[in-house]
Amino acid sequence: MAEEKAEKAAGAPGIDPDTAFGLLVEEHQRRVYAAAYRLTGNAAAAEDITQETFIAAWRHLKSFRGESSLKTWLLRIAANKSRSYWRWKKLRTWVGLDQRDADGEGPALQEMLPDDPAGRPEQAALAADLERRVQAAISALPPRQREVAALRAQELSVAEIAAILGMAEGTVKAHWFEARRRLEAALGEYL
Amino acid sequence: MNDEEKEKKLLSALAVSRPEAFWARQRAAIRAAAGPARRPRAWLLLPAAGLAALLVAVLAERTRRPSAPEPQAVSLAFIEHMDMLADMDVLEAVPEGKL
Repeated sequence: MAEEKAEKAAGAPGIDPDTAFGLLVEEHQRRVYAAAYRLTGNAAAAEDITQETFIAAWRHLKSFRGESSLKTWLLRIAANKSRSYWRWKKLRTWVGLDQRDADGEGPALQEMLPDDPAGRPEQAALAADLERRVQAAISALPPRQREVAALRAQELSVAEIAAILGMAEGTVKAHWFEARRRLEAALGEYL
Repeated sequence: MNDEEKEKKLLSALAVSRPEAFWARQRAAIRAAAGPARRPRAWLLLPAAGLAALLVAVLAERTRRPSAPEPQAVSLAFIEHMDMLADMDVLEAVPEGKL
């Protein structure tokens, strides 16, 4: 329902562009950031990708043909930008410029603090620990399985994931089956 | 636990959770970054306008300037040299005994 609101607002001729853009970001930012974070394993890169995704989408909104939903279109942009991130990282490693950026990899502890102040430090520490383990398990997956798992975690259907990644639905199912088996083995104690 | 429940549990573990303050800060950052691009300011176009005016002035100046005389394809010295060669042909045609 809220997604429809953002989608209609983005295309409506009379609406203030600022309001439309605000609705678009508010509606999809969690999904786009989460996918980018799971795909890159780097909090700073995920923030950059989220920002670039929305700016690119806003600039090219006219080229959005409405064949897919705004959600899948945004996630396709984010997935492409994440692939570019890996290509850039590989290139930097190849020329010997890449330095381990430990600060940017995980989110800062204050970003893990829950909204509810009760038991905040303990909760934040537990959440940060789980976050690290989950991310390590996802990062250990082969690239295609990682992409499928990151998008599946955004409550996308197999058909939507296939459209985003340009794969056959059968291929997505096979990747998800294998990714799930590996993730369950790695995170067994938390499931 | 059946398969569907197991998948649900795994998916909830894969979800990324952040406090509301994080999302609010990110929204503000996105809107700030998108702002200038969405509304190009007139003063940003000033350098481009200045360059365009300069280009027009230079082109106008070039068209106004009289064209330089075309360089002579054959120089005077070359023509004189050709005349001397013609004389040589006449001299060579005269039998040696008659010179």
